[in-house]
Amino acid sequence: MSDALVSLDGLCKTYRVHERKAGFGSSVASLFRRQYKDVRAVRDVTFQVRAGEMVGFLGPNGAGKTTTLKMLSGLLNPTSGEAKVLGFTPWRRQHEFLRQISLVMGNRNQLNWDIPAMDSFLVNQVIYDIPQEQFRSTLDELVQLLDLGALLTKPVRNLSLGERMKCELAAALLHRPRVLFLDEPTLGVDVTMQGRIRRFVSEYNRLTGATVLLTSHYMADVTALCRRVIVIHHGSLLYDGSLSALGERILPHKLIRADLESAAPADELAIYGDVTDLDGQKVTLRVPRALTAVAVGRLLAERSVVDLTVEDPPIEEVIDLVFEGETAAITGPDRAE
Amino acid sequence: MRYWLRVYRVHLRVAWALMMQYRFSTLIWAVWGFVGPLISLAVWTAATQARGSGVSGNGQRFDQADFAAYFLVFMIFGHLTMSWDAFEFAYRVRTGSLSPQLLRPLHPIHADASFNVGFKALTTALLLPAWLVLFVVLHPAPPPSYANVALAAPALVLAGITRYIWQYALAAIAFWTTRVDAINQLYYVLDSFLAGRIAPIALMPLWLGLLARYTPFYGMGAFPVEIALGRVSLPAAALGLISQMFWLAAGIVVFRLVWAAGVKQYSAVGA
Repeated sequence: MSDALVSLDGLCKTYRVHERKAGFGSSVASLFRRQYKDVRAVRDVTFQVRAGEMVGFLGPNGAGKTTTLKMLSGLLNPTSGEAKVLGFTPWRRQHEFLRQISLVMGNRNQLNWDIPAMDSFLVNQVIYDIPQEQFRSTLDELVQLLDLGALLTKPVRNLSLGERMKCELAAALLHRPRVLFLDEPTLGVDVTMQGRIRRFVSEYNRLTGATVLLTSHYMADVTALCRRVIVIHHGSLLYDGSLSALGERILPHKLIRADLESAAPADELAIYGDVTDLDGQKVTLRVPRALTAVAVGRLLAERSVVDLTVEDPPIEEVIDLVFEGETAAITGPDRAE
Repeated sequence: MRYWLRVYRVHLRVAWALMMQYRFSTLIWAVWGFVGPLISLAVWTAATQARGSGVSGNGQRFDQADFAAYFLVFMIFGHLTMSWDAFEFAYRVRTGSLSPQLLRPLHPIHADASFNVGFKALTTALLLPAWLVLFVVLHPAPPPSYANVALAAPALVLAGITRYIWQYALAAIAFWTTRVDAINQLYYVLDSFLAGRIAPIALMPLWLGLLARYTPFYGMGAFPVEIALGRVSLPAAALGLISQMFWLAAGIVVFRLVWAAGVKQYSAVGA
């Protein structure tokens, strides 16, 4: 991938953590003989992201997602491996690099808590050396896209979590970063606000062509924004490819949901596929992907069907299976993309 | 240059906004800085009154009015050169709130230094009337002359910057140990003695006075005070300034080394 804007090559991060057993005796013993454990947070992760791509970074808690983003944004030094973002080695933290990136963390605020967000924006304008005209137009755009108007003059501590997150996003984007790292940007905000933030990120990507690397526990964020996902678990990369292909590999079946004119027993319906749910006239059948068309054809021909839909299994189910350790099925050609 | 002026101006505005927000707390901290020299003054005044005469040491003599002059000037100079960043910085490292600052194309020291300058400018203006009252009541002798104060100005500036840099270098130890407060406390105690905050250096035992003069503490504390009071000869003042510059340069080198190594250690706890 020669036009990669973000590239990682064998990136590893190991934390050395002091550990001891519970109790007074072991705490005294640890004074004389401290024991450490190496925690491998990120192991040999390699991937590339092209300019303008939006990539979802998936993994359970402790998978290594945030550590990877921190290394890519220059906050952490890796234990080994290489990474380039916009041609820079992130952890050297050159100002020219920092001017072109942003890391938004849902659990961390860069805005000063005690003063209105607008004051923090003005500080960012100076720090990032944003010309007045560009600052004004970007701010107007952000105010409009995020509906910030009434929020800018309130002290940040008086804002709701969702309002604060919108201001955080605006603060992170005032300098129009070319690479945006979003770490759980919708954490804790309500469904409406989640949707608004998703639309905003999508619009920002469309308008500016920024590259976005996103982590989220909400699959809806990822499905709405990213066609490509990178799955990481126990610090190792498990999958890198399209979201739909991941579903196809992990769960090689589709779901047929049919609303029948009259109820039928499960054993009669089982000839079309595995009956996973039966509620009166409503039935859900699981069929192999390759046989979906045949099953639908038979069902329509042999039964009076009021309504019928064919769906992929919920992506949450796919991800759950991946994290439960059923990973053999996803190691394929996409891994090396 | 214009960029840096704008950076410091915008941070000063934020600093003042925050101080106005927490005006009572700001005033308490300012008063705290003034109380230390006042306590030392009370102790030495009591000592001279008990002896019925002044105190001499290493060729210098201090009577009640001399102590008043010394500690009154120290009150202002100490306030103008004070630094508390080590405590704040450790908190930021511990909680991970340093992370957003490290992601900006500006070293965090600039925002902190602006805050430091803003705090001193505001609180000095607030406390000056109280200081003038003390000046009138305590009859310091000899009162500092304008010429001596002008001579002390470069030493005072160097003292402030040097103290700030060394404090920040100390603060950066928080990258290794999140409980850096104990080290800060030790530093504070050493500083209290060796900078001449508790007693004039001349009145200290010879070995302690030498230790003070061969460490950065004297230059960061008593030296500009002694110049302002005319207690330092011109050659000694010139030598003192050179010593200050040496410690400033050393502080910058140490700070850069500690910082560079420290950020590599940073684990961005919780952030």
